[in-house]
Amino acid sequence: MKISKLKDLFKVISIIFLLVLNVAQVSFAMMSMDEKGMVMNANNDNLPKDCPKISEEVNLSIHAGRKYATKFNGKMFAFDQQEWNVAPCAKINITFINDDQIRHQLMIHGLPGYLYPEGMLHLELYGEGELHASVILPSQKKTYLVHCELAQHAEKGMKAQLKVGGGDGDLPSIPALSAPVKVDIYKLDWQAVMWGGVLILLVSVLTFYSGRVLFLYYLKMNK
Amino acid sequence: MYNGFLKNNKGSLKFMVKKYFIWGGWLIALALIILLVKWFFVLEEHARARPPATVSSSADNANVEKPCTDDHVEWRGAQEIEGVSILASPICEPDNPFTIAAATKGTNNVSMSTLMQSHLAQDSIVMEEDLDHDGDPDVIHIKLEIVELNGFSPDGDYLMNTYNIAPGLQPSLWVYAPKMQGMAVKNFNSRVAHPLLRAPSPVIRVEQGDKVYITLENTHYLPHTIHLHGVDHPWLNSKGQDNDGMEEHAIFPGKQHTYEIQPRHAGTMLYHCHVQTAQHFMMGLNGMFIVEENRPNNWVQTLNVGAGQVRHPSVSVKKQYDQEYDLHYQSLDKQLSKIPQEANDPRLISQKMSREYNMSTSTENYFLLNGHSFPYTLRDAMIVAGENENIKLHIANLQRTPIAVHFHGHKAIIMAYDGVDAQQGSQITRDVFDVSPAQRLDLSLKTQNDGLNSYGAGLWMFHDHVPTGTTTDGMEPGGNMAILAYKKLLDEQGMPTMHEGMFNDVFNKEYYAKKRPIWSVGDFAFLLGDAGLVVPENGELIAFFIVLGLLLGIIGMLMWLYVKKDYEN
Repeated sequence: MKISKLKDLFKVISIIFLLVLNVAQVSFAMMSMDEKGMVMNANNDNLPKDCPKISEEVNLSIHAGRKYATKFNGKMFAFDQQEWNVAPCAKINITFINDDQIRHQLMIHGLPGYLYPEGMLHLELYGEGELHASVILPSQKKTYLVHCELAQHAEKGMKAQLKVGGGDGDLPSIPALSAPVKVDIYKLDWQAVMWGGVLILLVSVLTFYSGRVLFLYYLKMNK
Repeated sequence: MYNGFLKNNKGSLKFMVKKYFIWGGWLIALALIILLVKWFFVLEEHARARPPATVSSSADNANVEKPCTDDHVEWRGAQEIEGVSILASPICEPDNPFTIAAATKGTNNVSMSTLMQSHLAQDSIVMEEDLDHDGDPDVIHIKLEIVELNGFSPDGDYLMNTYNIAPGLQPSLWVYAPKMQGMAVKNFNSRVAHPLLRAPSPVIRVEQGDKVYITLENTHYLPHTIHLHGVDHPWLNSKGQDNDGMEEHAIFPGKQHTYEIQPRHAGTMLYHCHVQTAQHFMMGLNGMFIVEENRPNNWVQTLNVGAGQVRHPSVSVKKQYDQEYDLHYQSLDKQLSKIPQEANDPRLISQKMSREYNMSTSTENYFLLNGHSFPYTLRDAMIVAGENENIKLHIANLQRTPIAVHFHGHKAIIMAYDGVDAQQGSQITRDVFDVSPAQRLDLSLKTQNDGLNSYGAGLWMFHDHVPTGTTTDGMEPGGNMAILAYKKLLDEQGMPTMHEGMFNDVFNKEYYAKKRPIWSVGDFAFLLGDAGLVVPENGELIAFFIVLGLLLGIIGMLMWLYVKKDYEN
């Protein structure tokens, strides 16, 4: 009898286990995908724990493409903007537009895991086109990483930041906004600093003669 | 005044000359001392009765990797997904069967669950109409992207989308990759490349007569093309645009281009980038393109990611052979492969690669079979045979230099050269197959133990017999060495048995960093380990340093006396 009861207990435990597993699979349900692209973890109405209500609703249209990199030196891909600022507990309605003929993504990292599995919102377009998704941000002051996670896309410029309540600092290597941690080395334009030589000559001659004049004046005064 | 110069006093010429002699004397003395010191220590380096002891190398076993991590045990068995029968692949790292199913049925014809597990984008392999009404689709749209592995990161001192070709080795590589969905990394907090993104570029398989549209979506930061080497293709596509993938029609970053073909001839062909060909080819932008014979109900496995075993062979291959393998031989130049890791700015990379680096001085340092060098070839580039099988091998040489592939214990028959079937008279049986750059051979390898085809079951090595082919940046064993393994000699993880001793040595990045002795095993750890440093005896050292001190003192004394004498005069 006792053994069979133990077996029952195991059954109950395994059923609970399976239920938990099913909950984990909600992440599957939070995804929509077709031949044009996919949206993962969009959130239209689930409030973060620390937000009693939505503070503001912001419509952001974000373009991605090679042509937005032309305003930066030494980049290949970029978003049309590199920084967005919203209030704590804001809801942002994103229109993501891909202007290239290749795949691009818009990923926001560091979101609360209980609302966004793996802490991210993931928008992806398989080619030219657009898609829409909303996200509700928590109240905390934070700078979120926004980038495209295709190989070398963020590295070559497709990187930005989303600041909530002013954010908590800048992320590195955002085009024209923050310096990279590991920098490129360029050649120095020596012609551009040539005039420095003339300046040195001029300053030294001036110093010499003014010094001489002052010294002679000193001698004269002490006679 | 004139006389003064000759006089023997401080201001005289004679004294000045003498002063220089004294300085010269000092210099000569110094040189003698340096020579003496050097002579002493060189002498000490010469062994006497007791050479230095062996240094223990057991301390760096911390870097030993598991030969097989058993990530996807469930992928090994024979299975059927979406009605696609997939052969067993009892190796350590088998191909993802969901990718195989999606690549065979088309990403538009499989369930969302299969598609998700294949990681392919929904539009990556689209299969349409059955033009000849023989039960298989004949209009095939294939989309390829270009991926940089082991690339630069401006965010820290590390590489992105890492892919190890051998323990600890991460040269940057460019590959064509199937159009996938999701991140290019294994997971959101990893820098390791997604398993679909690997070397070599995937093997593309289509059926003879298929209308194939190959779209290159250039996700990379430099221009590229696809040239269909040996594949029947018109020079222009239906829009009157370039269809030969030439340099002057490069596809620039963010753009795409579709190449259209309807191959009338079956065989093993190639595809590769034809922009800055010497550099781009050697960075890894090359792959096999195989046209299978047209047969009814012939659903071919459009992509064989990572080459190796074809787990869903075509109808005609299945009829004649028990198994089929794609063997992609590739080499890398470590200097060239370092360039994308030295800068982030695409302008700097292109300048360094195409102008500052002189490809005519390029050398091959890494030799890969199916994207890996030994010992990683044991994980996914082995041929696993049963007895009395007939195995079809497609060998493609995508290296810079010719290869001479040799199978231990077997002789195989050449069935086709460069995708053209060999006539009966030229179906030659050999045990070394010389393949020039870009050439292909189709072989029939029989595991019949008759003293000619096979000498019986074994873990038979196969490799390029050009001596450098089995090295990794000069370290042996490495390179494209792999094993033709008889199933019964593999363990449950698909790794060769009787190799355990060697695994501890070679599955170790310290080995390929050249920091470990080669035969440091058992008793021989003492006999063939690293010789330690010479520690001179204290007595000898004390004696030498005293002599040296005495010498310095005497020279100083002499000099002083000499100068003093002059002054006194």
